[in-house]
Amino acid sequence: MHQTLVIAKQTFKESVRNKILYIFIAFGLVTIFCSAFMPAVSGEKIKIVESVCLRSITFFGMLAAILLASSSIPSDIEDKVLWTITTKPVSQYSFILGKVTGFVYIIGLLVLILGSASYALIKVVDSLQKDTEHQGLTARQMFEPAHLKITGKSAKKSGNIHWIEGEKGCASSWSFTGLESKNTSDKIVIESNMFVESRNNRKKTIPVNVKVVNHFTGESHRETVTVANKKPSFLRWSNETLGGGKNLTIVMTPQHSGDFLGIRPDSLRLFLGNKSFEYNFLKGLIVISAQFILMVVIATLGSTFFSLPVNILFCLFIFFCGNITDFMRDISTVITIAGAHEHDHEHGISAVVKKPSTFVTLLNSILTAPLTTLSYILPNFKKFNIGNYFIESINIPIKRIFASFVYMFLYIIFCLPISFIVFRKREFA
Amino acid sequence: MDKTLAIKTNNLTKVYRSFFGRKKVLALNKLNIEIKVGEIFGLLGPNGSGKTTTMKLLLGLIFPTEGNAFLLGKATNDIKTKSRIGFLPEESCFYRFLNADETLDFYGQLFNIPKKERKVRADSLIKLVGLEFARKRPLRQYSKGMLRRIGIAQALINDPDLIILDEPTSGLDPIGTKETKDIISELKKQGKTVLLCSHLLSDVQDICDRIAILDKGTLQVSGTIDNLLSHKDLVEMQLRNLSDETVEELKSFITERDGEIVSIRHPSNTLENLFLKIVQERRKSTDSVTHSQ
Repeated sequence: MHQTLVIAKQTFKESVRNKILYIFIAFGLVTIFCSAFMPAVSGEKIKIVESVCLRSITFFGMLAAILLASSSIPSDIEDKVLWTITTKPVSQYSFILGKVTGFVYIIGLLVLILGSASYALIKVVDSLQKDTEHQGLTARQMFEPAHLKITGKSAKKSGNIHWIEGEKGCASSWSFTGLESKNTSDKIVIESNMFVESRNNRKKTIPVNVKVVNHFTGESHRETVTVANKKPSFLRWSNETLGGGKNLTIVMTPQHSGDFLGIRPDSLRLFLGNKSFEYNFLKGLIVISAQFILMVVIATLGSTFFSLPVNILFCLFIFFCGNITDFMRDISTVITIAGAHEHDHEHGISAVVKKPSTFVTLLNSILTAPLTTLSYILPNFKKFNIGNYFIESINIPIKRIFASFVYMFLYIIFCLPISFIVFRKREFA
Repeated sequence: MDKTLAIKTNNLTKVYRSFFGRKKVLALNKLNIEIKVGEIFGLLGPNGSGKTTTMKLLLGLIFPTEGNAFLLGKATNDIKTKSRIGFLPEESCFYRFLNADETLDFYGQLFNIPKKERKVRADSLIKLVGLEFARKRPLRQYSKGMLRRIGIAQALINDPDLIILDEPTSGLDPIGTKETKDIISELKKQGKTVLLCSHLLSDVQDICDRIAILDKGTLQVSGTIDNLLSHKDLVEMQLRNLSDETVEELKSFITERDGEIVSIRHPSNTLENLFLKIVQERRKSTDSVTHSQ
């Protein structure tokens, strides 16, 4: 353990004296401060600043993690510094762990600097916002449905979308649990984002009956809301609707026959109360840092068997592909569907592919399996993307942070032992 | 294993293979050597003879294709044994952004030496290798000779029982070479074992008790310097204050007794001795002027 900390301290010192780190910090700071001068295209300027700040931290932090972590061990091997370290009482495990720990320190420093600058800028921009639409820096407490139930017979199911038709005895029922807010003036806000189709009109808006049931008090509220296709609709109720309870059930069904509502499990969100922006921002930085640590571990793994330039390319490849794993899965799905000549989904992806060709069939046989496999093996960096929480002023749930860290630790558990084994078997000629 | 042995190799063999596993180079072929505790052992050989490969195998930097080796009675990959070993690589491989103090402190920390003791050891070693004037300068600004000096210091930071030195005098000026040889001799007095690898034969001859000569990875000869270099059929006498007549008388005396005179000459000083004498005298006079001022 002592040797691990010595190597970690040395790695930190080495990185601190590396000009690359300062270049990334400088570019990061410039980008962050430039965001204050960006014109607000729509909505609040503060959202643009928050978004640019978080993206800058992510981008420059990731570049620093890749370049510093992927170059350190190959440089030590190339400069033969490793000869004088591994001939001392330092195990290969201590060396690798020390390197990773050192990079965690340096990433902490980088996130601290860029995060502090971002926070300061966001506060300044926030204090300068004077328009009436400006809501201030808040983090709305979001509740996702614990359960979605479709009662009656749904019109059809396409992928994960259930389509229900009005007046057919079919309804969607969402259960929300654990709802509470200390401030009694907080409103319950329900946001729905659904697909809409109608045989009756071409405007793609339909009236929907909404019933809010409080099982604690036995009371229920009814309302009709107009829902547009893929556009958010809002309903607001007083906090008193809860009546001392913590659970609500929301039932939705189209008002008229011939109107269809396309529902996914995440089509409905409920907001109640606010959390501190500072706490939310800190949580955001923690999630962002987790992906840097993941990349450091991957770069360290690569550096145990790749040379410096190859390792940098390897890390950039992982980073690039790790951001498009969903896309890779979609592509492989498109190829599979196209190759299989399936056209029976009206609301599925196959609707856009009309003519399967020899080329598509060939792609199907060559690319589908590797793309699908890669998309599951490579780390999905989208899991660390928390930008939307800040754009929508939503409090990052603790379970999201927990999930990010579990995901990161799973990769660490997979990568570190391989690094140990490879490094132990490696000769330093 | 015999506790009087510091190093022992059994049929130590190393074959470097190409990427596809095809046999490429036989770097070391069934090396068997035994180095006793407290001995200064010289490993000699031309470039590519397998000297450095032997050292890397002993230090666990590379793995043997066949055979095995023991350092201080333990396998070469034993971590605890490494705390009793000092190593100076052929090339000076250090973090160039550190200065001499930081370098010795870093290596001292790897041996878990307490902070105060590290400081004391670093001070005395920097003084020993003559780097006091440049101790705060980053190593990237050091000359090759200065890097060798800091290399020697880091090899001794843990007060090792076994010191493995690869070309310790490479890049050093004659004074540095002599000082290094003096350090090695001092280590012998302290009972340390030194494995010295060099192709500077005069260095090895001056300080080693025993040597081994390698060529193309194979041990050619090994033994004590005296045994290997002395000519049992020749006698060398150095005499002072003899007149030419006395020399002639000695010649005829020897010839009468069937002796063969191989050479009679006036011995000359070595260039190294001359250089050391001149530089050291000049330094002494400079020091005395400085002190008197």
